[in-house]
Amino acid sequence: MPIDITMPRLSDTMERGTIIKWNVAEGDEVSAGDVIADVETDKATMEMQVYEDGIVAKLLVDEGTTSEVGTVIAVLAEAGEEPAEIAAGAGARHGAKAKSPPPAPADERHRKDSGRDDGAAAAAKAGESAPPAPATTHAETGAPAPDHNGKLKVSPVARLLAEEHGIDLRSVEGSGPGGRIIKRDILKAVETGQETVSAVPPSAIARAEPAQAERRSAAMPVVAAAAGPTLQEQIVPVSNMRQTIARRLVESKATVPHYQVTYTFDMDPLLEMRRQLNEQLASHDVKLSVNDFLVKCCAVAMYDHPYFNASWQGDSILIHGAINIGMAISIPPERGGGLVVGVIRHADQKSLRAISAESRYLAEKARTRGLSLEEMSDSTFTLSNLGMFGVEHFTAIINPPNSAILAVGAAIEKPVVRDGQLAVGREMSATLSSDHRVIDGAMAAQYLASLRKYIEQPAALLV
Amino acid sequence: MPERIIEFRDALREAMSEEMRADPRVFLMGEEVAQYNGAYKVSRGMLEEFGPRRVIDTPISESGFAGLGIGAAMMGLRPIVEFMSWSFSLVAADPILNNAPKMLYMSGGQFGCPIVFRGNDGAGGQLGSTHSWCVESLYANIPGLKMAIPFTPYDAKGLLKTAIRDDDPVFFLESERLLSTKGDVPEEEYSIPFGKAVVRKAGADCTIVGFGRPMYFVLEAATELAKEGIDCEVIDGRTIRPLDIETIVVSVEKTNYLVVVDQSWPFASLGAEIAAQVHQRCFDHLDNHVVRVHSDDVPAPYAYNLEQEMLPNARKVAEAVRVATYNA
Repeated sequence: MPIDITMPRLSDTMERGTIIKWNVAEGDEVSAGDVIADVETDKATMEMQVYEDGIVAKLLVDEGTTSEVGTVIAVLAEAGEEPAEIAAGAGARHGAKAKSPPPAPADERHRKDSGRDDGAAAAAKAGESAPPAPATTHAETGAPAPDHNGKLKVSPVARLLAEEHGIDLRSVEGSGPGGRIIKRDILKAVETGQETVSAVPPSAIARAEPAQAERRSAAMPVVAAAAGPTLQEQIVPVSNMRQTIARRLVESKATVPHYQVTYTFDMDPLLEMRRQLNEQLASHDVKLSVNDFLVKCCAVAMYDHPYFNASWQGDSILIHGAINIGMAISIPPERGGGLVVGVIRHADQKSLRAISAESRYLAEKARTRGLSLEEMSDSTFTLSNLGMFGVEHFTAIINPPNSAILAVGAAIEKPVVRDGQLAVGREMSATLSSDHRVIDGAMAAQYLASLRKYIEQPAALLV
Repeated sequence: MPERIIEFRDALREAMSEEMRADPRVFLMGEEVAQYNGAYKVSRGMLEEFGPRRVIDTPISESGFAGLGIGAAMMGLRPIVEFMSWSFSLVAADPILNNAPKMLYMSGGQFGCPIVFRGNDGAGGQLGSTHSWCVESLYANIPGLKMAIPFTPYDAKGLLKTAIRDDDPVFFLESERLLSTKGDVPEEEYSIPFGKAVVRKAGADCTIVGFGRPMYFVLEAATELAKEGIDCEVIDGRTIRPLDIETIVVSVEKTNYLVVVDQSWPFASLGAEIAAQVHQRCFDHLDNHVVRVHSDDVPAPYAYNLEQEMLPNARKVAEAVRVATYNA
C-alpha cells in the first residue's frame, strides 16, 4: 500500500502549513525520522519528519504552497512497490482528497475548552489563546478551500456581496460543496465584523485617493516632486506568523479589558549591582542584561501577587502553578520580521546567570533558526522591552491567555530628587497592561510596588 | 364582490362560450365535443346553445381535423380544436407544427393562423406511456406558436379568452387532473395577457417557478419548506411562449436561488431553457446553479407507484430547494 504523507498538525493552533522547502526529491529513499520538509506554521518554520520507510513516489504540492492540515502532500512507495505507478495514481487519487475538509476546528476548540481543568499547561501555551470570545469566529475556522489549482470557489452572488462589504474572500471559509464560498458565508463574515478587519476594498482606496489629493492641493501649495528617495505603493503578502500576530492581538485588544498603570523606578542600585556582577564574572562569560534582572523581579513578585500569573477562563480564574516569563523577541526583517515570545520556564527558581544564558540563547535562536513550539509555549506573564531603542515609555497588548504584560522603557539619566537634594540619577519607566477581569487597579499598583522593592533593593534577587 | 366558485372545466367552457357569443368566427371542433358534451364534459351544453355548425364532432382523425382547422383559420375563421389528449396531437404533427406556426412566415404575411389547439396535457393517471405526454418542451421549441398552461380556473378562463382572440396559433395545455379543481371566477368580463407570470406566494429564501399542474406540488412543497424555515417565492409562469423571464429574474435577484419545476423530461426542456436564461440574465446574483425538477428521463410507467415517482412531486420539489439553498 502506498503511504500518504499529510500536512501534520505541528501546533495546537495550526490549521494549515506552507512547504518552505522539500528536502527530498521524487525517487529518494527515506527512513523513518528523516526530515523531509521545512514547514512554515502559524508560529514558526519547523521540520517535518517522516514516520515510515519508503521511496518518495510523488510530491503533491510545490514549495511555497499552503495546505490544510490533513491534506495529502506526498506519497511514499513501500518496499516492493513501483514508485512510478503510485505516482501516476496519486495525482488522481488526491485531487479530491486534498479538498476534503480538515477536522473541524470548532470541535477541537470546544474540546480544549471543556478539558481545561486537566489541561492547564496545555491550554496556557504561549501560542494558543484561551478564547474568551464565542467558540468560533470565522478567522479561526478560516479555511478557505482552494481547489487543487489554488483557486477559490465562490458563488457569483457571494463574490458580489464580498465586494460590496469589503470582505477578503481568502479569509472566508466556504461551506458549500467542495468548499465553495456561498452567500451565507459572506453574510456570516459581515455579521462577525470581519469586514472591519480587512476593511476598505482596494477599489475604495483607489477612489479615495484623488479626493484626498484634491483636498490637499486646495489647502496647501503643491510640493514639488521629491528628488530624494520615494515610496512605491505595493501590496505585501503576509506570512503565517504575521497573520497569527494580527489575529491574536486583535482578539486580545478587542476582548480583553486592558488598562495601564505606569511606574517609575530608581535604577541606580540595580545598575550598580549589575556593573559589579558583570565585572566580577566577566571571565565566566556572564553578561547580565537589565532585562535578565527584570525577568527575575517579575517572577519572584508573583509569590505575593498570584493573579499576575493567571488566566481568565470565563467563569473562573486559573492561577498557574508554574511561573513562566515570556519575553517578546523581534525577528529581523531579513528573517521575515515579526515577533515571537520566547519563554523562560520557572524563572522564579532560576539564578540570574541561568536566566541570562537562557534568554540569550532564545533570542539568538529565534533570530536565526526559529524557536521550537516548546520554547514558545506556556508563558504565564510577558515582558516587552524597548529600552535598548531608547524608548522611555510605551504600552503593550496583553499576550493571551496571560493576564498582564509589562512594557519596559530605557533606564535614562535624569535630574532626580534624592534625600531632598537634586541629583543625577537613572530612572526607568515601566507600564503594566492588565486584564481587568482578573486584576484591579489597586492590585496592579501593589504589584508594581513589589517590583520596585526588588528593583531598588536588588540583593534579594541573588538568593 | 362575492366569490363565484366554479370548476376548471366550467371556466374553460365559459371562455369558449363567451367568445363564441361575441365573435361569430369562433367555433369548436374535436372528438366528442358536441353530442357527448366533451370527453371530459368541458363543452357541456355548447351544442345546444351554438348548434352543430359551430360545435362539431369529428372522426378520430387528428391529422385531418387539425389540418381542417388550420385551413379555416387561414381563411379568416377562429377555430378552437380540442384534442382529447395532447398525446393524440402527435399524429397531427405535420399540420400543427409544420403548417400552423409557420404559415404567417412562409406566406410572407398573407395568411395568419389564429387557431387554438387545446386539450389535456401530462399524465392523467395510469394512462400508460403513449397517453401520458407532456408536450410543453417538445412543442415550445417551435417558433411561431404561443403556449399557455393554466393552473387555476381563473387563469384557465382568462388565458383561454386571450388565446381565442390572439392572431397566432396558441397551444393551450390543460390537465385532466385539474379539470375538477375549483376556484373563484368572477362574473364580469376579464382576460389575462400572455407573458405575465404571477407570484403565487412571496418569499425571501428561494424562488420556485413552475407551470400548470405541478404548481400544486410546488405550493405543497413551499408550505412544507416554510416549516423548516425556508421561505420560498413561488412563481406560476402561466405562459411558456411568451415566457415572462423578467418576473423570474427579479425574484432570483432577490432570493439568489432558483428551482424550476417542469413536468417535461429533463433533456432539452423548458426547465433547461429557463436555467439557461437565468444564468445569462442574473448570473451574478446566483448563489448556486439553477436546480431543475422534471419527470424522470424514462417513458411514463403504468404502475401507480412508479408513475407517481416518475413525475414531479412535492417531495422532489422540496428536496431540490434544499439542495439549491445548501440545506440538503
